[in-house]
Amino acid sequence: MGSDSGWKRVLRGVLLTIVALFFLFPIFWVFLMSFQTNETILRIPPSIVFEPTLQNYVALISGKLVSNAGVLEIAFMKNLGNSLILSVVSVALSLLLGVPAAYAFARFKFRLGEDIAFTLLSFRFAPPLLVLLPLALYFQSMGLIDTYFGLIWVYQLITLPLILWIVRGYFEDISEDIEYAYRVDGNSWLRTFLKISVPLARPGIAAAMLLAFIFAWNNFVFALILASADKQPVTVGALAFVTASGIQYGQIAASIVLSVTPTLLLALYAQRYLVEGLSLGAVKG
Amino acid sequence: MHEKAKDLAQAVIRKEIGRREFLRRTGQLGLGAAASAHVLNMMQTKALAADFDWKKHEGTTVNLLMNKHPYMDAMIANLDNFKELTGMEVKYDVFPEDVYFDKVTAALSSGSTQYDAFMTGAYQTWQYGPAGWLTDLSEFISDPALTNPNYNWDDVLPNLRAATAWSGIPGAPLGGDGAKQWAIPWGFELNSVAYNKRIFDQLSMTPPENMDDMMEKAAQIQADVDGVYGIGVRGSRSWATIHPGFLSAYANFGQTDFTMEDGKLMAAMGTAESKEFHAKWVKMIQDSGPKDWSTYTWYQVGTDLGAGASGMIFDADILGYFMNGGGNAEAGNLAYSAFAANPQADAPTPNVWIWSLGLSQFSSQKEAAWAWMQWASGTEHGLFGARQMDFVNPVRQSVWDDADFQSRIAKSYSGYLEQYKASAPGSKIYFTPQPLFFNLTTEWAASLQKMVAGEVPVDEGLDQLVDSVNRQLRSVGL
Repeated sequence: MGSDSGWKRVLRGVLLTIVALFFLFPIFWVFLMSFQTNETILRIPPSIVFEPTLQNYVALISGKLVSNAGVLEIAFMKNLGNSLILSVVSVALSLLLGVPAAYAFARFKFRLGEDIAFTLLSFRFAPPLLVLLPLALYFQSMGLIDTYFGLIWVYQLITLPLILWIVRGYFEDISEDIEYAYRVDGNSWLRTFLKISVPLARPGIAAAMLLAFIFAWNNFVFALILASADKQPVTVGALAFVTASGIQYGQIAASIVLSVTPTLLLALYAQRYLVEGLSLGAVKG
Repeated sequence: MHEKAKDLAQAVIRKEIGRREFLRRTGQLGLGAAASAHVLNMMQTKALAADFDWKKHEGTTVNLLMNKHPYMDAMIANLDNFKELTGMEVKYDVFPEDVYFDKVTAALSSGSTQYDAFMTGAYQTWQYGPAGWLTDLSEFISDPALTNPNYNWDDVLPNLRAATAWSGIPGAPLGGDGAKQWAIPWGFELNSVAYNKRIFDQLSMTPPENMDDMMEKAAQIQADVDGVYGIGVRGSRSWATIHPGFLSAYANFGQTDFTMEDGKLMAAMGTAESKEFHAKWVKMIQDSGPKDWSTYTWYQVGTDLGAGASGMIFDADILGYFMNGGGNAEAGNLAYSAFAANPQADAPTPNVWIWSLGLSQFSSQKEAAWAWMQWASGTEHGLFGARQMDFVNPVRQSVWDDADFQSRIAKSYSGYLEQYKASAPGSKIYFTPQPLFFNLTTEWAASLQKMVAGEVPVDEGLDQLVDSVNRQLRSVGL
């Protein structure tokens, strides 16, 4: 391949800019909205020039929302905390259970192995609403309704199959010869798993972890049905700004900015693993 | 000073002086308006305790499931008085309206004991009541051992009492024979016109008087005012598109959703009058409605009016009320007018939405929950909410008659009281209660969307709707 001619480079630059603008503009606009009052946001016609204010962030962080109907209590930071607890603990638990299980499914052939793996995957098939009402009944009789423990358990329906099936693919990609070589030196299965397999599959595990975290973070319906208001995640909490007396667009924008921040930071941190991990698992050797 | 204020509050309760006189005199004592109102409210709460054993459930905690709404905010603002009156605790779970009914339906259908009482709409009780999820409140209201003697149930507007009572027989009238009181009306909205007075004055225009007039005026605003469209009405694919202005106007032409033929419900949207009305409504939206009308819900209709993007709306009166305050660009410019679509009609026929209180059948402490319900739906709290918060529209006649409430509304909401007085007598639920309400009414909205988009002519669309609705009714044996 020879080097591109000048006009091709220019064309590519222009096209990339257009695509970037197309995808990033809504995010940029939301970011700008988060520094505006409702009145400024709803100006006709809309304008990019405004006097920035931090009042939306102040309202969210202080928990006091000044609206048409007076001063209202909002629990956004509590919702954000709930999202963090539910997502982090759920993903951590799924990693703890899912990575060894994925290794077992990748390396060993055992009775009903494929059936079990498929059953775990099938948790992703049914729409959540289909299982939620029966679950609510069970949870009530077991005293798990409205508990973090119960919610984290249910969140395994989202995170565990994802981690298990993605990571299994990566383990299958790793040559067994490396593990044998390590075992020949007298190391146990567990040690081989921890010292050889897991480090080699780390990009895949990171990619699966990030995806599982995003899925858990974006979940809406589990906590809504199975928990009370004080355990709701940010996805439900953000709706509190849509009230009968009006939509608080500024606060919604600020809440979006705040609620995407943890995922964004995690994605930035895991980016190098993520790209490597996604491409690694794409082709089976 | 506080003791003197308390004495004055006692005088108000004994009706020896009026509330204004009380505020004047407490003002002379150096007490601010808010503090005076607080003292009066506290003393009124104490007075409530005189004739009834409010302490019967002392120490009990009632659990509520509530919607994020100004009515709820008013309740929270006054809750300490209830706690003091009863010695009870109240825990509440508040969910945003977008997901609220999902939460209620899930809690009730799973027989959850988590919540004792909750907010509901009257339409929802048509599903919850016959399913056995709600307690019939008639027995509580009529029992003097359970209901305080000042509750005055008859003070609640009769159409609203009827609207929250139903026998469960599809097509049977609300509040008719064998009706069970599935809920207590709490706050309600009727449908009228809210308009931007600044724009109307600019065009030397008066509020619309009938459907043709509304179409013309909406078109004129659209044509003459830059960046402003004529009229905001809802258009999303939801039952909520049908129930506000649309049904209110439809009913004004004497049209109904169903008729009863040989004991069977039959869709009634296919009449010549109905087709004529639908054609006008569709044309009005095509000519002067919002560009993306098919996505319009309560929120968009209200926001556009508040921001000055629309000239008027035909929707809930309290939507216009809310938009006249806070950070809205047009706050202070909005005015209200009753609306009868049919020039031959004697009066407006607004359909109503009623936020109500329901008592869960699965509650293990119904009497304690009823203590909260009767307080929350009582006159004292109604007055507090109407005078000091946005607990509007009140469901009690005595609150509407309150001079303080009236002067507060008259001062800031031009024409609101007048539109209410003109609309109230004819305001009620104009839907026929039946178990497929949400599905069939949503289909009606979907059909309307197709007509507005020009996918189907109005006549044909309505004929298809009637066929489909009748088929669905027959398929469930109705």
